[in-house]
Amino acid sequence: MSKLGNIPVNAQDGKKRTNPLAGVFDELVQFCQSRSMFMLHYCTGCGAIELPPAMTSRFDMERLGIQPMVTPRQADILLVTGYVSVKTLKRVILTYEQMQSPKYVIGICSCTVNGGMYWQSYATAKVLNEYLPVDVYIAGCMPRPEAVIEGMRRLMRNIEDGKGNAWKDYFQRYDYYLGNQQHLFGNDWQTPTDIIGEARHYGLESEETYGEHTKILEQHQQPLEPYKMRIKL
Amino acid sequence: MTVLDDLLLFTALASVAIIALRRFASISKFSVVVYALATVLLIKMSALGYGGEPVYSSFTVNVLGQILQWRFDALSWFFALITLVSALLAAFFMSGAWGEKYCKEHSKEAYGLLQVALILNVLSMLVLLASGDLLSLFIGWELVSWASFMMMALNPDKLARKAAIKYIVYAMAGAMAFLMAIAMTYNMTGSLDYVQVMQGMAHLSNSQIALLVSLYVMGFGIKMGVIPFHLWQAAAYAETPGAGAVFMGAISARMGLYALLVVIVQIIGLTRVAAIEIPYTFLDMQNVLAWVGALTTIIPTYIALKQNDARHLLAWHGVGQGGYMLLGVMISDSIGTAGGIMHVFNHATYQAALFMTVTAVIYRTGTSNFSKLGGLVTQMPLTFMVMVVSIIGLAGIPPMNGFVSKWLIYRALLLDGQPLLFVAAVIGTLGTILSVYKLVHNTFLGQLRLEHQEVREAPLSMLIPMLGLAIIIFATGVMPGVVLDWVAAAQIAVGIAPVEHNLGGIELVQGGLDMIWVTGIMFYGFAVGAIIFYVLGGKSKHIHQYDNYAGGHFLTSKVRYHYSNHFYAGLMHMIGGWYRNVFIKLEHALVSLVSFMSQFSENFYRSSQPVMLVAVVVVLALYFVLGSSGGAEVSAGVSLGGFNQ
Repeated sequence: MSKLGNIPVNAQDGKKRTNPLAGVFDELVQFCQSRSMFMLHYCTGCGAIELPPAMTSRFDMERLGIQPMVTPRQADILLVTGYVSVKTLKRVILTYEQMQSPKYVIGICSCTVNGGMYWQSYATAKVLNEYLPVDVYIAGCMPRPEAVIEGMRRLMRNIEDGKGNAWKDYFQRYDYYLGNQQHLFGNDWQTPTDIIGEARHYGLESEETYGEHTKILEQHQQPLEPYKMRIKL
Repeated sequence: MTVLDDLLLFTALASVAIIALRRFASISKFSVVVYALATVLLIKMSALGYGGEPVYSSFTVNVLGQILQWRFDALSWFFALITLVSALLAAFFMSGAWGEKYCKEHSKEAYGLLQVALILNVLSMLVLLASGDLLSLFIGWELVSWASFMMMALNPDKLARKAAIKYIVYAMAGAMAFLMAIAMTYNMTGSLDYVQVMQGMAHLSNSQIALLVSLYVMGFGIKMGVIPFHLWQAAAYAETPGAGAVFMGAISARMGLYALLVVIVQIIGLTRVAAIEIPYTFLDMQNVLAWVGALTTIIPTYIALKQNDARHLLAWHGVGQGGYMLLGVMISDSIGTAGGIMHVFNHATYQAALFMTVTAVIYRTGTSNFSKLGGLVTQMPLTFMVMVVSIIGLAGIPPMNGFVSKWLIYRALLLDGQPLLFVAAVIGTLGTILSVYKLVHNTFLGQLRLEHQEVREAPLSMLIPMLGLAIIIFATGVMPGVVLDWVAAAQIAVGIAPVEHNLGGIELVQGGLDMIWVTGIMFYGFAVGAIIFYVLGGKSKHIHQYDNYAGGHFLTSKVRYHYSNHFYAGLMHMIGGWYRNVFIKLEHALVSLVSFMSQFSENFYRSSQPVMLVAVVVVLALYFVLGSSGGAEVSAGVSLGGFNQ
């Protein structure tokens, strides 16, 4: 079992920008980002039941700029709200990979932290951050809406401070995450997305992006070329 | 010999030639040349479209002291232009690859018959449009009915045959109503000539006018497919073989509107129609007809929404758009009538283009069933583009031409103070937008099926008329003044004040329309968006169709993410209860009533019970005798006088 300390909450490369205006601009961008969060709630377990009160008029998450979104392409936050069975985890990973960067993962309930009451189960994934980079965990069984909102605010503060960079870790250490996934799903595991290509696109390749697990992936992965518009009379 | 003589003679000779040459392979090229030459002859009369004097045919027939004559005025010229151009494009469309495939699938004979049906349709429509009095109008009317029947009956499919039979039953009922109305008109006014009938109408009482209007509208309404006579049209047009459906969908049903414009608007006059109060209501006859038009826009459009076959969806829209034309004409001011008449042209352009795209899809994939299509945009991009342009026109969204005519109708409804009709028209448009989206989504968007991965773009002979129509749709949308010139001339011909217009649209004190500005601003907006997206952003990424979100499902060729079955489930949850098949049940009830009566009379004639027959005859005779003597009717008394003594 990996340690919670593995969550890289501050993965900035340490370079300081000299232009003061650039800093202002970065802060403005981060400020705006932190205040327009669209969340895709992947309601897996009982934690989902705490979301309606959190979203609706009593606790009203929308006043913080957080509202639900129906597709991963437009979403910023992936909420995983309870235990994830092996079968569900495949879907969660696919959904996460389809989201556009920057993207954030929040694990709600103890089940996502360490398996919770399902810690003995053969069919559930115990620690979510072995498979996905999790930004914030909200422990509790289940956490109340106040706690959920507190977790959201924590994420917002992280983003505002430039610390919400866990998504970069998925590209930088893809081999590690892929290895854990392969360990659980078997070596023929693949999704229709192209993480390595995306890592190159964002310029986030590192030594740990590649490794023995990506080699296994390359062996059996059939690249899905998009259909080209063609006029063939 | 006038130009009209030339045109009619040329078309008649061409039909004879096509009937004679129908088995030859070069017939398809020949027919294209025929329609092109006929169009040239029509263009020779183009002075009509700009307010010229009517062109008379030198051929007349004298029947019962009435002179049957044929002539073209601006309205006829406008409709004839649409007819000939759509026939030209349909003939071009089927002259190449489509015709070859049709020959292979059916037979050369069937293809020849399709050509014959097309030229006969064109000829009969020209005869109808050229009619100069009520009797020649009726002759043209019957010719068009039977020519359409020939076109529909070409499809050997059982459904298609059934639709064609249904059509001819409806058409005959309409023709009988029309004939009866003509006979009564002759009886009341003593003439069949338009001008003399028009003068005679002034002396008729309101109840006589009401009777005539009801009969005429029933005759014309059946051809147009207005409520409650809308059931025949969609199936009949949809099942017509591809290129035939292009022509039929574009113009055929509009002959009803032409006759309505001539008889109701020009001869009887909408002021007379408006003077007829419907008892116990606050409506007059004109309101009733406007509401018939409004309901015709709503009901068939929402039936179209439920169709699961592209051809049927389009054909139901053809019925629904006819309602807009009727509604526009029935507003009776210059703007509304202009909208109604202009909609004929606009509808013909995009309906022909849409039927062509659907036929092209059928040509390449073999089906128009929505649940077997999807994702064809990468394989047939040009066809997709034509369909998008045409559905923008059909939905009435700028900058295509459908927007202009619908805007005119809406504007006239607002100026006329008809908020309820306006809402009805808007509801109809909403249904149109929803179902055209269904059409384009289920055919071209979504996931490409495994078996369609090798599908190619439609062949050039089909693409050229399609692209040509798309250009016309856009050009007449940006510069509606081109069409409005002809529309204004047609309005003068039927005795309505012409609409004030310029190249860009309408001049109106209360706020006009300039499509050149509208289009300019739209494209300016597109340009800004394109610059932001492509120049400043430029981070788009193409992905495979399986890299798509379906609630976390892993998509494969087995798990398709193409939502075509039970489309608009949410909407149907709300309005599904309104689909109660009332008109179908009504039709069934009528059919069973007629068959019950026919069985009754059949049994009556077949039964060999002389005692009962004698008893019935005796009772009837006694009733007649006693009733006549008691009632002291003069005529009955005279005829039975000998018997009584």
